[in-house]
Amino acid sequence: MRPPTHFVLRRGRLAGLLLACVLIAATALAQTKPQPAPRTSDGKPDFTGIYQASSRRGGWDAEAPGDEPGVPAERRPIAVTTTEPIPFRPEARARAQEILNRRSIDDPTGHCIYAASPRITGVGLFPIQFVQTPTQMIILYEYMTVHRVVPINGKHPDDLSPSFMGDSVGRWEGDTFVVDVIGFKPGGWLTGGLVTSDALHLTERYTRVDRDQLNYEVTIDDPKVLTKPFAQRTTLMLREGARLREYSCAENNLDPGVYEKLLKDPSTFTRSPGKSK
Amino acid sequence: MRAVIVVALLSSTATVAVSAHHSFGVAFDATKTVTLSGVITKIEWTNPHTHVYVDVKDASGKVVNWKLEGYPPNVLERTGWRKDVTIKVGDTLKFFGWPARDGSPYAHLREATLSDGKRLFFGPPAGTGEGPAEVR
Repeated sequence: MRPPTHFVLRRGRLAGLLLACVLIAATALAQTKPQPAPRTSDGKPDFTGIYQASSRRGGWDAEAPGDEPGVPAERRPIAVTTTEPIPFRPEARARAQEILNRRSIDDPTGHCIYAASPRITGVGLFPIQFVQTPTQMIILYEYMTVHRVVPINGKHPDDLSPSFMGDSVGRWEGDTFVVDVIGFKPGGWLTGGLVTSDALHLTERYTRVDRDQLNYEVTIDDPKVLTKPFAQRTTLMLREGARLREYSCAENNLDPGVYEKLLKDPSTFTRSPGKSK
Repeated sequence: MRAVIVVALLSSTATVAVSAHHSFGVAFDATKTVTLSGVITKIEWTNPHTHVYVDVKDASGKVVNWKLEGYPPNVLERTGWRKDVTIKVGDTLKFFGWPARDGSPYAHLREATLSDGKRLFFGPPAGTGEGPAEVR
């Protein structure tokens, strides 16, 4: 016996509804389930892509205003960097506190001098591009328009000359790309008032844990200013559609002039521990 | 045990805002805010900061030209701004930010309200880049 026509229609609608639900669920699952990291023809994880220091997957993180003036509609950190307590030597700790008291007015980046990788990697305002070949990892930073060419399985040059970003050599440890960085100029600024010496030694570990997420972990060692190494971590998230643009820091840097006036009376901006404003 | 280790690890680390170009708190006072409206007289779409200059008329009719500082162009473009399109000289601009410590008509521009009512961020929040008050 054929069922009544209206029942066939209802059953057809029900089946269509169920199918739509399944498709929506499958699409949502595909969007949320991390996809595996791509690999190169030699089987290594392929880091090629443009990333942003961020804790969120998807498109470029840019804040939009909310109801309260100056407060974003969605409160979320653009970048999340965690830092272990810095094991300063006593004199370095005193210097760091003085830097913080002076609200970092002497920061070299205020004069457009760029900083070492642990600092520029975590700046979530600017994209970072990885270009990978079998013999080199090339890292391009929009911030300050700087780059690093990291030879894979290379060695530091014998005629190493100190530089702001140091000399980098990389190697694969399983799926993690490990970069050894030495050869720094003294006086670089990292996090929390840490001013590094020519003995700075970085060990960076980059792991593309899935298609969207590249973990960054760095061990910072500097026996002249630290009693032991410490680690800093952040995540770099793939940002398809983003592109690197020019950042010509010295183009119209008015800050040194502003600072020169302020330094005539530092009491106008300095602070002390326990007084953050 | 594993949970205890995770908690201990989290409590021994600090989440930090990473500084880009310079400290906020050197030049600007986060304890005061400024909300004003005026007419744009000049735009510097430049690195490391974009500046907008705005003529603001006070209650007595006196006009003061404010210098407003914000993100570099690249960041503005990713925040929804377009050079020579989003704002132009002669446009009205309402701004919210934090004033200079020295009392001059100079401010860190956080949020701009365009003449059509659209609101966009122009600079980072207060406190960026100056670090914590105490060594951690």
